[in-house]
Amino acid sequence: MNIFVSQIMAIVWKDFVTEFKTRELFSAMFIFALLVILIFIFSVNLSIVKASEVGPGILWVAFLFSGTLGLNRSFVLEKENGCLMGLILAPADRTTIYFGKLISNFVFLTAMELFILPLFMVFFNIDLLEHLLPLLLVIFLGTLGFCTLGTLLSSLSSNLKTREIMLPILLYPLLVPIVIGVVRMTGQILAGEPLSGMMNWIGLTASFDIIYIGVSIMTIDHILEE
Amino acid sequence: MIDIPKPDSSYSAIEVRQLCKEFGGLKAVDGISFELKRGEFLSVFGPNGAGKTTLIKVLTGLTRPSSGIAKVAGYQVEDGIPEMRRQIGVISHSPALYADLTPMENLVFFGKMYGLDHPQDSALAVLEDVGLAFRRNDRVRTFSRGMLQRLSIARAILHNPSILFLDEPFTGLDIHASNILKEHLQTLHNNKRTILMTTHDISCGLEMCDKVAVQVMGKFAFLKDIKDVDKENFEALYFDMVRNNQFTMAIRSH
Repeated sequence: MNIFVSQIMAIVWKDFVTEFKTRELFSAMFIFALLVILIFIFSVNLSIVKASEVGPGILWVAFLFSGTLGLNRSFVLEKENGCLMGLILAPADRTTIYFGKLISNFVFLTAMELFILPLFMVFFNIDLLEHLLPLLLVIFLGTLGFCTLGTLLSSLSSNLKTREIMLPILLYPLLVPIVIGVVRMTGQILAGEPLSGMMNWIGLTASFDIIYIGVSIMTIDHILEE
Repeated sequence: MIDIPKPDSSYSAIEVRQLCKEFGGLKAVDGISFELKRGEFLSVFGPNGAGKTTLIKVLTGLTRPSSGIAKVAGYQVEDGIPEMRRQIGVISHSPALYADLTPMENLVFFGKMYGLDHPQDSALAVLEDVGLAFRRNDRVRTFSRGMLQRLSIARAILHNPSILFLDEPFTGLDIHASNILKEHLQTLHNNKRTILMTTHDISCGLEMCDKVAVQVMGKFAFLKDIKDVDKENFEALYFDMVRNNQFTMAIRSH
């Protein structure tokens, strides 16, 4: 196997083993997302507004807020005991560290989202099963964009004392185009519209995913330098 | 494909010429020059804030020099060439080990990052070397400071580097753990590894090294072969040097 790929897989393996032992990241993200959805259920009168209209926004707020918790933890784990220094000293391109962390964050967040979806379906009384495939595509695009930018910015904010505050302040404004795209697409999918009718939104979200990956590759070397 | 510059065959293990590192006007490393041949051991003494850690960070490629030349294993440090990093091992204040993983998992992970062919075998071998094989399946979180430092040595020598950088490795260790660490360092030195160690422990640093340096306010105020050093009076000389240099710098800054 190519050394670049095997180094990325080593980082992913390490994150999985750590998470399997501690279960810190997944449980924290899942409970937080669940609480966000519950709070919205009690604050929105579903007999007045349609669940398919308010549901997409609530679902993505839950995903993004709980995902931010996970991102904050992601690089903090690397900073503990100077582990990041150990990684940087390894004969690896620094983009391997970025891609390893990106894949871990993406898998953990996607797994959490897949557990939240059935609960969302029950609480909002929306049948997601008939629109499952297009919905999964939208979730993939949105989560990828969130993780590409979030992983980069969490590596940047992990050096700051106020990292828990700085990450959302840096991340959310830059995520606006992706959030608009995925919330609109989720709404249209729940309203029963076909994917072919929302190609402009798919193109917009995918473009920002690609742009953020490109920006990350170009800047991660400088961000990880002390 | 990127053309990676190869070192010439006659390279020194470490070669430093007029090296400087500034942080917003503050010179943490100020015009340092020295050369270490393969297999030599340099002990660098100095008070807190003298720039010893920064010197190691520059030489290991963790941070870029502001000016000057730094070559390690024949490679320019600034180039950040992976082959250079394959040649070095670093032991610092922090162990660079994942607390929730076991020693085996930590070392196998770093073995994979260094592209070792058999990371499991290499990890077990170095754990036996540092006497921690019996705790290989316990979480690192449960280890004492002394055991962490031994595990840190195992991580640093896992890929069999030819050059070792040690940043105050005796900090926080009790006498027993210090003695174990000294034995390991002596073995590594006997195995012809080039070692650069910063320390506050004067007797220990003098005992093992081939060259001695004293760094004060970013500069090397003293650099000699150990055979030219009066070991008996070195401690008094060291404190004089630190006092005089700090006094001179204080006058200059006014």
